[in-house]
Amino acid sequence: MSVTTRGLGGALAAIAGDAATDDPAALAAAAVDGRQPRWLVRPATVEAVARVVALAHDEGLAVVPRGAGSALAMGGVPERVDVVLDLARLEAIVEYNPDDLTVTVQAGCTAGALAAALADRRQTLPLDPPGWGGRTLGGIGATAASGPLRVRYGTMRDLLLGVRFVQADGVVTWGGAKVVKSVTGYDVPKLLVGSLGTLGVLAELTLRLHPLPEAEATCLLEFRHAEAAPDVVARLVDSSVQPHRLELLDAAALGACGLPAAAAGLVVSVGSVEGAVRTQQAIVAAEGARVRARVETMGPGFWRTYDRVLATAGPTVLKIATLATRLGPALGEARAALGADAVITACAPLGVLRAAPRTEDPAPLVQAIERLRAFVAVDDGSVVIERGSAALRAAVDPWGPVAPGPLELMRALKRELDPRGTLNPGRFVGGI
Amino acid sequence: MALSPQFVEELKGIVGADAIVVSVEGRMTYECDMHTFYKGAPDVVVLPTRTEQVQAIVQACRREKVPIVPRGSGTGLIGGAMAPQGGVMVGMNRMASILEIDYGNRTATVQPGLINLWLTHAVRERGWFFAPDPSSQMVSSIGGNVSTNAGGPHCLKYGITTNHVLGLELVTGRGDVVRLGGKTVDRPGYDLTGIAVGSEGTFALVTAITVRLTHAPEAVKTVLAAFPSVVDASRVVSAAIAAGMTPAAMEMLDEAIIRAINAGTGAGYPEGAGAVLLIELDGPRAEVEAQGDRAAAFCREHGALSVSVAKDEAERALLWKGRKEAAGAVGRLTASYLLQDAVVPRSKLPQIMREMVAISERYGLLIANVFHAGDGNLHPMICYDDTRPEELEKAKEANEELLRACIALGGSVTGEHGMGLDKAKNLPMQYADADLNFMFRLRAVFDPDRLMNPGKLLPTHPACGEGFRPQRPRLPEGAWV
Repeated sequence: MSVTTRGLGGALAAIAGDAATDDPAALAAAAVDGRQPRWLVRPATVEAVARVVALAHDEGLAVVPRGAGSALAMGGVPERVDVVLDLARLEAIVEYNPDDLTVTVQAGCTAGALAAALADRRQTLPLDPPGWGGRTLGGIGATAASGPLRVRYGTMRDLLLGVRFVQADGVVTWGGAKVVKSVTGYDVPKLLVGSLGTLGVLAELTLRLHPLPEAEATCLLEFRHAEAAPDVVARLVDSSVQPHRLELLDAAALGACGLPAAAAGLVVSVGSVEGAVRTQQAIVAAEGARVRARVETMGPGFWRTYDRVLATAGPTVLKIATLATRLGPALGEARAALGADAVITACAPLGVLRAAPRTEDPAPLVQAIERLRAFVAVDDGSVVIERGSAALRAAVDPWGPVAPGPLELMRALKRELDPRGTLNPGRFVGGI
Repeated sequence: MALSPQFVEELKGIVGADAIVVSVEGRMTYECDMHTFYKGAPDVVVLPTRTEQVQAIVQACRREKVPIVPRGSGTGLIGGAMAPQGGVMVGMNRMASILEIDYGNRTATVQPGLINLWLTHAVRERGWFFAPDPSSQMVSSIGGNVSTNAGGPHCLKYGITTNHVLGLELVTGRGDVVRLGGKTVDRPGYDLTGIAVGSEGTFALVTAITVRLTHAPEAVKTVLAAFPSVVDASRVVSAAIAAGMTPAAMEMLDEAIIRAINAGTGAGYPEGAGAVLLIELDGPRAEVEAQGDRAAAFCREHGALSVSVAKDEAERALLWKGRKEAAGAVGRLTASYLLQDAVVPRSKLPQIMREMVAISERYGLLIANVFHAGDGNLHPMICYDDTRPEELEKAKEANEELLRACIALGGSVTGEHGMGLDKAKNLPMQYADADLNFMFRLRAVFDPDRLMNPGKLLPTHPACGEGFRPQRPRLPEGAWV
């Protein structure tokens, strides 16, 4: 059964009440890459999400889910945008079990709101992608966004225990478990993390929490020669130190954080009991001193500054994944390709760089991205546009190449699970 | 099913005459895994040495519509590496090499038949180890660990197999060789590695695995505390987790197991104790010292009968000796038992252990417990007398009742052993029709012909999953036309 446009609006209204709007100003504000939706829907329940998606599926409409909107400048320019599905009203903390260190939240709950709710019990969801406080957990899940703490705690992949999601045809589905250990059936949560809402709309997440460490300390090593930094990273990784964060900052990033000028810096934080923090900090300082780096203790506010700098680094952010052993050369290549004023940081032990070039002009950026992709190709690395203008993402594949074997399986998954292309068409790898 | 002589010849041509088992006696040794309940010998066993051979085997089986069953060391506990429908078993034991160790990037790439502990042996001197430590790690293969997404005592701190797998090479049910993931992280695209780990051979045969190596901790401390009862000890576990303690492992043994172990290995666990708790801390020395002291004090404050702390590596090994040999020691209690590994939320441990005592009394069957208490992962062994058929039926009923109790508390059917043939039927306890339907569709993408380890993990259903018809949301039909 097909219905008229006017009728569709009525149907959406019947499903979502005043949560659905076609008010021109609201639609203009909800545009994705300049493409204005026909409707903006802000459902307040998972059931309403399911019904909106079901209707869209039946009527051949494209649905673009969104949380806080912080990652809308990621991925391909959408093929079609009929319904923008804003999940911000699904913000409830559904069930917090502090004694089990687990929590279930709705997808629109922000990481900041959750952190506030966990603070009393000194527990934490250790996910800190740039701007994390205002980002929704559904969004962090859908984009597999990560931050400095991944060195110690992993990413959403390691912390998502169970997930309720709405399939492309509107069927509400659950995968995983609510306990910290389960191998019952396929590991469905893994498939949805980082899938950018192309296989299902994340509605509810059950997450593993960690206790906050009793004590924490952060220190900065400042290097006169950038080449010395990766060597210190390697030595720390192969030591008894268990860093919570180990970030490398280039000269521009040091400047952006308001730190003294140097060729490069390493910021290392450790968390544990008081005594262990002191001994680990001493090891870090000794490693710095060994290569004549200046060692400075940082206050707890540093990571807030760092988060703000990363979140507001500019209109373009590239994530460059290489091998940890190629960190140094990759830094050099990134600087050469993007210019000395690009702000470059790295989650050093994992070989993941984040680069924010100053220019917004697509042509030189396309060139730089292609150059960097060629550079990391030998190590099977990747260069992904984490944030970029629509013009840039139209000019160059924002994801880069995926090998034919895996890509064929990914396309087969999309065909099986969303044959009509209802969910976020065109925004994922290979045009999925 | 009988295979044609030509097909067997074709397989022989692929792997060579010395890598194929066709005799009845030979095939019988492959008829079950450690869950000896379920038996099903394959029609032929092939032992490939290269990925190309595995691919040729899968392609030939696909053409002939013959089931394919992978097998590592056969130490699974779920009726996984056995062939209920016959067909071709692919033994991975001759693909057991370490292909690469890359200390700089903290990775190793291995073939699936490699024994878990051998990888740690290979990297130990340089200060590294492979973290997933199923109790079978001396004999189980890493391919098998990947297949079941295996766990172990120290997974409390380090996570289970999937948290350590970076990439896979596999031959899918479509007959394609696909390389997923690898040494660099954050690959664009769906996390196919993540969904393939734990798929128990129903998607593909794994032919190479890239894993993360973990730095050996600077210090380790092991604390053993005895308690009057298993319920008392469970209360301490729940309280310790709630208080934010983060041990590397937290294992519990109940009275029956203590008795069996003391009679055998001489681990010297406190006689007369209703339960012992084995707590291990690892990490930087200062942290381990502080947390070890705290754990010991915590146990004393919470009613421990005795607390001992291992003073050196020898004492530590002794404390662990009993735990590691627990499964074998059960033989002193009973000739036969049913084992499962359901999970409950950690805060519900005292409740489920009380329930367990009640079920044991109600059925008149001894239930022995040795389990990963820290993450709520139970391992009840329901003992029965196999000379009395009615006892087995009772044991099965007790097992089902216990599973249902775990699920009712918000738990999970299996924490680390996997589904296999044994628990496939239990999948609907935890998932609704929509969830099951989704899983069947995932399988169809990797294995359209349903030839990969058939009968395992997913429940059989008349219409092969179509029967699990999900409920679509109701739309206000006609309201707007």
